[in-house]
Amino acid sequence: MKKKVLISDPTLRDGNHAVAHQLSAKQIESYSIAAEAAKIPIVEVGHGNGLGASSLQVGLAAISDREMLETARKHLVHSKLGIHVIPGFATINKDLKIAIEIGVDLVRVASHCTEADLTQRHISFAREKGKEVYGVLMMSHLASPELLVEEAQKMESYGAEAIIIMDSAGAYLPSDVTERIEALVNALSIPVGFHGHNNLGFAIGNSTAAIDAGATIIDATARGFGAGAGNTQLEVLVAVLDKLGFETGIDFYKLLDASDLAEKEIMKIVPTISSTSIVSGLSGVFSAFNKPVERISKLYGVDSRDVFFELGRRKIIAGQEDLIIEVASNLSKYPQKVK
Amino acid sequence: MISKLIELIEADCDQILLESYGLLKPIQNQHILITGGTGFIGTWIAELVSYLNKNYNFNTRLTLLARNADAILIKPTSLGRQKNIILKSKDVRNIIDLDSDINYIIHAAANPDNREHSTNPLRVIDTIVHGTSALLEKSTLLGGLNKILNISSGMVYGSQPHELNSIPETYIGKVDCSQINSIYAESKRMGETICAAYRTQHRLEIVNARPFAFIGPYQLIEKPWAINNFIRDSLMGGPIRILGNGDTVRSYMYGSEMAFWMLRILISGKSGHNYNVGSPHPISLKDLALKVSNNFSPLPAILSRNGAESDATHSKFIPNVDIAKKDLGLEIKIDVDDALRKTIEWNKLLV
Repeated sequence: MKKKVLISDPTLRDGNHAVAHQLSAKQIESYSIAAEAAKIPIVEVGHGNGLGASSLQVGLAAISDREMLETARKHLVHSKLGIHVIPGFATINKDLKIAIEIGVDLVRVASHCTEADLTQRHISFAREKGKEVYGVLMMSHLASPELLVEEAQKMESYGAEAIIIMDSAGAYLPSDVTERIEALVNALSIPVGFHGHNNLGFAIGNSTAAIDAGATIIDATARGFGAGAGNTQLEVLVAVLDKLGFETGIDFYKLLDASDLAEKEIMKIVPTISSTSIVSGLSGVFSAFNKPVERISKLYGVDSRDVFFELGRRKIIAGQEDLIIEVASNLSKYPQKVK
Repeated sequence: MISKLIELIEADCDQILLESYGLLKPIQNQHILITGGTGFIGTWIAELVSYLNKNYNFNTRLTLLARNADAILIKPTSLGRQKNIILKSKDVRNIIDLDSDINYIIHAAANPDNREHSTNPLRVIDTIVHGTSALLEKSTLLGGLNKILNISSGMVYGSQPHELNSIPETYIGKVDCSQINSIYAESKRMGETICAAYRTQHRLEIVNARPFAFIGPYQLIEKPWAINNFIRDSLMGGPIRILGNGDTVRSYMYGSEMAFWMLRILISGKSGHNYNVGSPHPISLKDLALKVSNNFSPLPAILSRNGAESDATHSKFIPNVDIAKKDLGLEIKIDVDDALRKTIEWNKLLV
């Protein structure tokens, strides 16, 4: 019997980063219909930074969370509707309750890789409401395998039914992934998953490394539509998994159709590994920082690559976008000091 | 609805006490302090004592001490409105003095919720270690104190070795003190050591109970334990989701029976001795899920969600209760089927 890999598709969530959170209801509708037809098991929908994140700091979404989720819910019948929830952006009363009322199936509660404590209330609440809940550790390259295990165990104790580690900066080499996934698989009694980014060209290779190390859940998006250099490319991953002898339950031809549709209808530009993305991956900075770093560097007349490396040195994480200005400003005043 | 819930509890108390209330006579006309008095263990002991007062004229006074003792007033019970029951809101770590007429103490102040252990490990350690020290220090001033029951935990043993079918009290245990998931176990071990110190230095009579897994009314179905989750999933229409390996083995004791055992250990347990409290009858999570589902119509589906096969995923955790049987004549009277039926009936009414 073929081994199974569960595919979770955040095209309509991580992809929102690539279009400054401007996905429309029409685009969400058309991709949801295509994803349902392709039997993609989980379709994640929302602002790039997840539920309740639409804001001046990280970007205002084109439409509300409610409209996004209701639109997708209408067309996802067999595919599960997933949401990305970062406590702080998403509050239980204002956001999570509403999402659950709308009928989301899967709540993925995420925190920075060393701050799993913050997820207790959200994970517990979603479990109490009978929802399926995953714990997600973002920017996982910033933590050692031992530390990731500790944080994942916290999420497991809160009731998470799977743990996903995110390579948010696209900074991993396959050996890094193997080391971390193996540690998690050995320490947890629940499934482990991997969410890749392609900054160093390893998104597919890192995903298969994760599977080899025991991961059973992989995130991937149509054409790799996502922050920075993009995510693991879904249609390529499914083809590779088939060749490797894994079962995903996805209708391959319909998946190719969904990817073609996504490219045509929801992407202004298909993600590529730009020079900025390479620097972002090398410096270990969150992929979604590309646009603000480019913009602010230009404003201060500094080299965006220098800004990235300084941000990487400071181990900056999502939510600290204001530090980009500080770094760019310092670079413009004291370039030699910062370097 | 509340009256029906109270009736169910009274029926449970009646079932457990009908033929054995005489064994509890030593607490007649006595004053018992229960720390953690509004938790699952404290509430069930209070229910049993309240029933003894009402039906067998025990005239036993109870002081229920908890951080927020008034929380019991919103529970579906009459415990908060009885003249023999005093509610005292106080953190056990900050006890200044104890009522001078206290005859027995049941020290149950600790939170077994592993979510709390992960998020607030320092508070967990502090409550158990400093709470136990503070309580015992003040206990040394009580002239009429007969005995203290320290509610420790089965967790003090660490993981159950494969070669043991069940864990006897003589098993010394193996806990990796450097791991964060040892916080509760190590704190409880230290709690027992503090008890040993007060026994020898102040000649306090202290007996340890080591509770395993329980089920029953007053245990919130939101708690992150398999059996609670199975019941909650079923009440919501399913499916039941088994996290981890379905071959994991546990055992479950019903609340009223647990309370009776605790009182028996308090009264007749030997100072310095340890007694496991729990069911010796093992059941796999798969079988447990099946039993839970059989209490619902339509039958909820059962899904398994496990990671890789490893030692951790095949764990078992079963108490050996031979000492409780031999020394105190304690035996399990309520099997897991009955325990589930009662718990589900109560929770259906509550929902």
